[in-house]
Amino acid sequence: MTMHVAPPDAALDPDPLLSVAGVSRFYGERIGCADVSFDLWPGEVLGIVGESGSGKSTLLRCLAGIDKPDAGEVLFRSASEPLDIYSVSEQERRRLMRTAWGIVHQNPRDGLRMDVSAGGNVGERLMDNGARHYGQIRETALDWLSRVEISGNRIDDRPRQFSGGMQQRLQIARVLVSEPKLVFMDEPTGGLDVSVQARLLDLLRVLVRDLGLAAIIVTHDLAVARLLTDRLMVMKDGLVVEQGLTDQVLDDPQHAYTQLLTSAVLSV
Amino acid sequence: MTTMILVENVAKTFTLHNQGGVRLPVFDNVNFSVEAGEALVLAGASGAGKSSLLRILYGNYRPTAGSISITHAGRAIDIVAAVPRTVLDIRRRTLGFVSQFLRVIPRVSALDIVRDPLLARGASAEEASERAKAMLARLNLPERLWHLAPATFSGGEQQRVNIARSFVDPSPIMLIDEPTASLDAANRDVVVELISEARAAGSAIVGIFHDEAVRERVATRYLDITDFRKAA
Amino acid sequence: MTIHQSIPGEDAKPAYNYAYLDEQTKRMIRRALLKAVAVPGYQVPFGSREMPLARGWGTGGIQITAAIIGPDDKLKVIDQGADDTTNAVSIRRFFERTADATTTEATEEATIIQTRHRIPEAPLTTGQIMVYQVPQPEPLRKLEPRELETRKMHAWAEYGLMQVKLYENIARFGEVTTTYDYPVSVNGRYVMAPSPIPKFDNPKMHMSPALQLFGAGREKRIYAVPPHTSVKSLDFDDHPFRIQSWTEPCGLCGAKDSYLDEVVLDDLGNRMFVCSDSHHCETRRDQGHRGPMLGDASTLHLVDEAKS
Repeated sequence: MTMHVAPPDAALDPDPLLSVAGVSRFYGERIGCADVSFDLWPGEVLGIVGESGSGKSTLLRCLAGIDKPDAGEVLFRSASEPLDIYSVSEQERRRLMRTAWGIVHQNPRDGLRMDVSAGGNVGERLMDNGARHYGQIRETALDWLSRVEISGNRIDDRPRQFSGGMQQRLQIARVLVSEPKLVFMDEPTGGLDVSVQARLLDLLRVLVRDLGLAAIIVTHDLAVARLLTDRLMVMKDGLVVEQGLTDQVLDDPQHAYTQLLTSAVLSV
Repeated sequence: MTTMILVENVAKTFTLHNQGGVRLPVFDNVNFSVEAGEALVLAGASGAGKSSLLRILYGNYRPTAGSISITHAGRAIDIVAAVPRTVLDIRRRTLGFVSQFLRVIPRVSALDIVRDPLLARGASAEEASERAKAMLARLNLPERLWHLAPATFSGGEQQRVNIARSFVDPSPIMLIDEPTASLDAANRDVVVELISEARAAGSAIVGIFHDEAVRERVATRYLDITDFRKAA
Repeated sequence: MTIHQSIPGEDAKPAYNYAYLDEQTKRMIRRALLKAVAVPGYQVPFGSREMPLARGWGTGGIQITAAIIGPDDKLKVIDQGADDTTNAVSIRRFFERTADATTTEATEEATIIQTRHRIPEAPLTTGQIMVYQVPQPEPLRKLEPRELETRKMHAWAEYGLMQVKLYENIARFGEVTTTYDYPVSVNGRYVMAPSPIPKFDNPKMHMSPALQLFGAGREKRIYAVPPHTSVKSLDFDDHPFRIQSWTEPCGLCGAKDSYLDEVVLDDLGNRMFVCSDSHHCETRRDQGHRGPMLGDASTLHLVDEAKS
């Protein structure tokens, strides 16, 4: 018996949202990250795991266009033309950051305006993009606060009156309000209590799925990776040592380092 | 008859790099196929690699060699070579995995867990809820538990939630690993019925059943994994 | 304006060049002014000089006036709307002595009006030049402390943050509470600080036939609004920009459409509202307009009875 085997991806949409080719960043002699390549499709969530100093944050900064790598190319396909994010103008990159992209920082203070009310924080991207109707901005802000489980009566409070978990949820609302296509997250649950983490993770999981977001999440927490990501890249000393489907990498790790990483965790 | 799974020359060896590079061969040169409407039961002693094979079929373990063609949306796709998002798409639409353990997600209610695959396949919220409730009722899960997150459920209750999730909308291919392990006789019967119904509706079933009575009632064919061990 | 490099006026000290600044400096300032006029609302850096008075007393405005004034000009200087306050008097005298300038209190006669905090009530006309003294030229500064960042925000018209500030006001107080130095968008492009004039005066800048020049001495910035240029106060569609209004008219001249200052009369809570534009108020009184408190005001020696 024979079966005709088609090429693996013919049925699915042909163009990745993000194409990363040969991204390398060096700090003098030291490798930040080297020769990283991958494609990310709409709606896909990629996890980058590794211990501190493995290069995952360096890579994220390069991918998000915050740092320029020493080599490599990152192409982002938004509306029509693919954008080479290292050759577009800073203006265009900033515009991208207000519209189709978003960054969720580990420390909410890096992503929020601490002197601006919750509503203003959420509304900023809308106003950046030209919204000039106070009532509508406020309505959208209220909707997003409820989506991240912040009570509407806190809309005029400033983030410094919020707990860490609330600040992080507010940051997420602030980023997602412009309905980005791609979100970068750096240890989004780092620094939070375990119970607060669980709530945030669940929220992220639902939002990512409902909005069809593509996301790149840097984390050292394999449980976070398991819950949120479709695919995983394992980094060590600036190199990608293994990548694949998240459950594949975690349940049947091939590389010595990944085996060490997964066996060092109690239960993922 | 449609061939849903075609396994060719599959081998699996675990290499434990952190234990001196020990190599643990599991099996070698596995070849078989499964047709739609068939229930293939994997046989063999404990540790023979039945679960590993099931996981390889699901794309969870990576075989050391060989190919596995899965008929997905009318086309055969090698799940071993497929990129992650293709594997995910195959799992979403074609390939279901029923284990005895529920992966509990914090704060998600039993009903939502069961509704989820229906929603993912595009059912309306209302229809999904109706079908999910019917399935939970059929598996005798008390209604007061439906809106609770299963983290605090007993093993048997969690298992039934998991089975309900898997059978609320049976996939064209169902991979089943010891689904009845901690169920009472009544619920075991329900599971056997569910499997038979899925098969009758055209699903291809590959399963591991510890319980001999269940095995007898479910199987249309057996495959003894031990046969592939000696070569490895 | 004429370039005048010859002998200074009689009572100016011969040690100074005409209009105090040396000609190189004037040229530098004029170049900055030309650029500012060419790019309405854009802040042009300039080499602000030390002036014989402290920064914060209008050195930016004085330098601009010095760079454009000539012997044919008629200069009016107002401070908080009044021609007779210390700062206004000192600056007027400064140019009388160093630039041989004729000065006036009459808005319609003036060719150059240097101002701190007000735009005269009388409509400006073609050929007039407003010179504003500006303490903080950067409208975004309180929101974004980094100069590099604010320059980028201007360059790429990223003005969402400015709107966030207005949003915060409305959220907190139900309305935009900024009452002076209320940010404007010039020519639909640059957001600009109109200097600390009351927002009451903002509409006067819009499509004004006069040339409007802004100087910030300490911050070393010059910017401009050319004649007939749109100047729109920032707002929300559902919270449109509104100017201040008063329930009572000017106590002295009865004007209902001018910007009023509150004057506390005693410690019993008595007060009156009077035009902040002293020349405007006097002109109206000369024309026979009478405010409800004019009699009281003369008894209290707030106004010169002979003059009214």
